[in-house]
Amino acid sequence: MPNLKDIKRRIHSVESTMQITKAMELVASSKFRRAKERAEASQPFFEQTYKLMAEIAAEDPYFDSQYVHKRVEHGAVLLIVIAGDRGLAGGFNSNVFKIAQARIDEVQSYGGNPIVVPIGQKAVDYFARRDVKVLRSYDHVAEHASIYLGMDIADLVLNTYKRHESLQSVEIVFTNYVSPISQVAQCMNVIPLTRMPGTNPRHCAVEYEPSPEAVFDKLVPQYVAGLVYGAIVESFASEQAARRTAMENATDNATEMIDKLSLQYNRARQGAITQELTEIVGGANALE
Amino acid sequence: MNLFHFMIVTPDKTLFDGDVQEVIARTTEGDVGILAGHIRYAAILPSGALTVKLENGDSRQAAIAGGVIKVSDTRTVVMSTAAEWAEDIDPDWAERSRQDALAKIEAAKDEPDRLERANLKLQRALNRLAVSGHNTGTLGSHKKK
Repeated sequence: MPNLKDIKRRIHSVESTMQITKAMELVASSKFRRAKERAEASQPFFEQTYKLMAEIAAEDPYFDSQYVHKRVEHGAVLLIVIAGDRGLAGGFNSNVFKIAQARIDEVQSYGGNPIVVPIGQKAVDYFARRDVKVLRSYDHVAEHASIYLGMDIADLVLNTYKRHESLQSVEIVFTNYVSPISQVAQCMNVIPLTRMPGTNPRHCAVEYEPSPEAVFDKLVPQYVAGLVYGAIVESFASEQAARRTAMENATDNATEMIDKLSLQYNRARQGAITQELTEIVGGANALE
Repeated sequence: MNLFHFMIVTPDKTLFDGDVQEVIARTTEGDVGILAGHIRYAAILPSGALTVKLENGDSRQAAIAGGVIKVSDTRTVVMSTAAEWAEDIDPDWAERSRQDALAKIEAAKDEPDRLERANLKLQRALNRLAVSGHNTGTLGSHKKK
């Protein structure tokens, strides 16, 4: 028969854990709502910028920009990895690292040099423990991210790309928000813009001022900034959604556990009372 | 007057989405006025003012922090890193960011990269002050060309 006091203590401990998971669930769902609005608001800007770029690139088949063509095969790869600042979000962080690590292994297998820009405390910690070159890290930026953060990173990435001919591509690993219960980590190409689908190569007869190249070169940083910003806000929304689901499950499990322990406790209590009665009756009988 | 579809999009919001009579924008090449039926056109916008003549004939002014304008057959879109309507600009905040930008320029004197960014920040702050109709102070002459 389990000890009454021990069971009581376990119930208390599970209860206090449940209080924490419950609170985290509430915080995550309120943050999630705001983050989702922000992620949705960033969509039109990105779509329009991308559409215009695709149009310019499609208009001229001989269009030549260093951002459009592949420069080297099997060169270095710059990877922007976006994870969370905190844990306790189910598989959110580890899914991101799985995708990023797979890409890093692939690059290393053909002798390429992977370089990472980690965003989020967890990503910074992850790459600090590994043998990968870190260009610059950003932590605790996702919650209050603005387009200027995106521009900052775009500047860094584009300057690096311009300066190093051996850099094959820039890619970004982030978590795509599909639905409140489904978030998918994925790796996406940023530059070069090898394939720009959406428009057919045809002559659109657009007048560009001062020139198509100038407009395009102005658009590239804006596009990269928009993409990075969009990926950060989307990952943040995914993180909150993942945390909410994880904490909801934890709270449910705690409730179940408390039910089970309460049953055990009551059974033990009942058993103790029955035993006491038996002893009293037994004692009384013995006196007669 | 003929109307056409116009949008102002920024990464954090869609500032405007609707039909307008005319849009006047300041590009790097000079001011352009866009009416319905304009040819396909794209140009770079430095930080500056943008005037929109609405369906009912009223004019509204917005501060654009720099971006691109694009005219296609069906609609005209301004893509900017930030945009606000003149009446929504908080002059105190714009003034604070002007001071902040000046401090940053001072601090970044020897670093061309940071200096350029601080200059852009100053331009944005001055642009906001100018569009909101407030005094741009001693640096008024630095307003973009």
